Amino acid sequence: MTFEEFHYHIPWRALGSHPGHHTGVQSGGGFEFQGLVPFTSQPDPRYLDIRAMIADPMQQLMVKSFRQRATIPVYLLADLSASMGFVGKAAKTGLLAELATAVAWSAWRTGDPFGLYACDSQIRLDLSLPLRLYKGMVSGLSERLRAFHPKSNNALGLLEAATLLGRQRSLVFLVSDFHFPLSQMEELFNSLVRHDVVPVVLWDSGEYENLPRFGWAEVQDPETGQRRRLFLRPGLLQRIRERFAERKEELTQICVRHGREPFFLVDRFDPDAMTRYFYQ
Amino acid sequence: MSFAFAHPWALLLALLAIIPLYKSGQKMLTYSCLALLPEDNLSLWIDRGLRFLAGLAALLLALGIAEPYLREQWVEKTGTGAHIVLLVDRSSSMNENFSGTYLGGTAHESKSALASKLMVEFIDRRKHDFFALVAFSATPIYVLPLTQDHEAVRSAVLALGGRGHGITNIAPGLAMALGHFSGQPVTGSRIVLLVSDGAARMEPEIAEALRQQFQDNQTALYWIYLRNPKGGKLTEAPKNPNESTTPEYYLHQYFHSLGVPYQAFEADNTKALQEAIAKVESLENRPLTYREKLPRQDLSGLCYGSALICWIGLLAFQSLEVKAWNI
Repeated sequence: MTFEEFHYHIPWRALGSHPGHHTGVQSGGGFEFQGLVPFTSQPDPRYLDIRAMIADPMQQLMVKSFRQRATIPVYLLADLSASMGFVGKAAKTGLLAELATAVAWSAWRTGDPFGLYACDSQIRLDLSLPLRLYKGMVSGLSERLRAFHPKSNNALGLLEAATLLGRQRSLVFLVSDFHFPLSQMEELFNSLVRHDVVPVVLWDSGEYENLPRFGWAEVQDPETGQRRRLFLRPGLLQRIRERFAERKEELTQICVRHGREPFFLVDRFDPDAMTRYFYQ
Repeated sequence: MSFAFAHPWALLLALLAIIPLYKSGQKMLTYSCLALLPEDNLSLWIDRGLRFLAGLAALLLALGIAEPYLREQWVEKTGTGAHIVLLVDRSSSMNENFSGTYLGGTAHESKSALASKLMVEFIDRRKHDFFALVAFSATPIYVLPLTQDHEAVRSAVLALGGRGHGITNIAPGLAMALGHFSGQPVTGSRIVLLVSDGAARMEPEIAEALRQQFQDNQTALYWIYLRNPKGGKLTEAPKNPNESTTPEYYLHQYFHSLGVPYQAFEADNTKALQEAIAKVESLENRPLTYREKLPRQDLSGLCYGSALICWIGLLAFQSLEVKAWNI
């Protein structure tokens, strides 16, 4: 069984005491030199530093201290509002399931605990996982996510889930199409301010790039129930594309202000692109 | 302008025209976020236009089903021309040709068929005249009142070219022909054009009454006598005068005594018949005001036609419909 796997990297020190993959703040066994401490505070003769002792005018016994690497909690917050039910080139819930599987597997491979909160107007506990060490995705959950038909007209459960992430700084994949007002987005980022948020923007090229070139379409917004009839033609498509480019710019700005650039996941999930996102 | 509906209840169907204003009937596509789509005035107006068109089409269909019509109307028309009553013999002897041989009902050379044909030509040439038509055999048949509708007269005359029945009873025919003029002001020259191939004895009282009518109505009489070549001539007195065996001679005499312009044309062959009809064609006219009835006009075709035009617009956009995101 092969899983899509990517590597993630955080530019901050993990606060956890569990030994893990990420640079931490705790001193302990490791390779990262923290400093010299008197032998009395860390009586381990293996780390006696002869050079430091000679240099010390008081001729104290000095030992090297190292930082221990630690685990971080990895969360995935998934927006399951009705707009995520859009099926274009790919079903968005399918992409979400794929991404969740990859994150869960990568977290396991990195040695980090993984938690999943799927939210529509409230947290969907049937599609969520508490923070644990899982060996990849829990079997069946990916299929259930894939088969889920989102119906709710908002994603306010995300705000609720933000309060459940705990005090320890974690890596949070916030997966949504972000088809909600920027003010709501601002509120969400503020409630996640403690954490390292990776906004994953789930779009489909069928939403703006691959619309029919010419035609008469009646479209409905699954969240508001609003209807419009569109006379699709190259001029209008051009304006739709421009509108999405503008939206992309807006999203990038607001995300950068809150820590990270968004990761745009369009049509298919490429784990290597995710790795590059972390290491660029 | 009077306007009415044949089936007014169908107007209730017009209420259905509200439906397209609210329901488009188009396959609905899901789009994740309408708020992101730019405003598009063209789409908006096309949408409104199509809803309106669909409503209009439904309305017009309901109207069409209700069958609106303009009621029949009388119109005043002023015509100039002679008033000619065609009094046509439909007796069985008209089925023969000029040599006296019976040709059967559908033969084209029968006297009645020929007479019809020539009369039609005559009518066609006299565009401004008014014609009435009376057919007679044993009893007269009222066919058409005085009218300038030449199409109707033509058709009626052509219809007379078929097979005739019965005997020749001329007096009631003449009475009915004169009836077209009685009680009317004299506004044009009046002619009774009698086309027959024989005559019958007339009772003296009836003959007197007819004479009075001819004089009262100042009606000229022209007789086209389709003579059998073996039959007696009108001008020559027969050898043994008898009103039962040679009534034509006596009728001719009687017509002469009417005191109105009278002329008889003997036609014993096709050519003579043509000449006879040509002679009748030189008569002066005076204008006449008369009323004509227009039949009621059905307007439902107009409704269906306009509904069709609406449909063409709707169909054009239906063919452009996007049924699924084709990605």
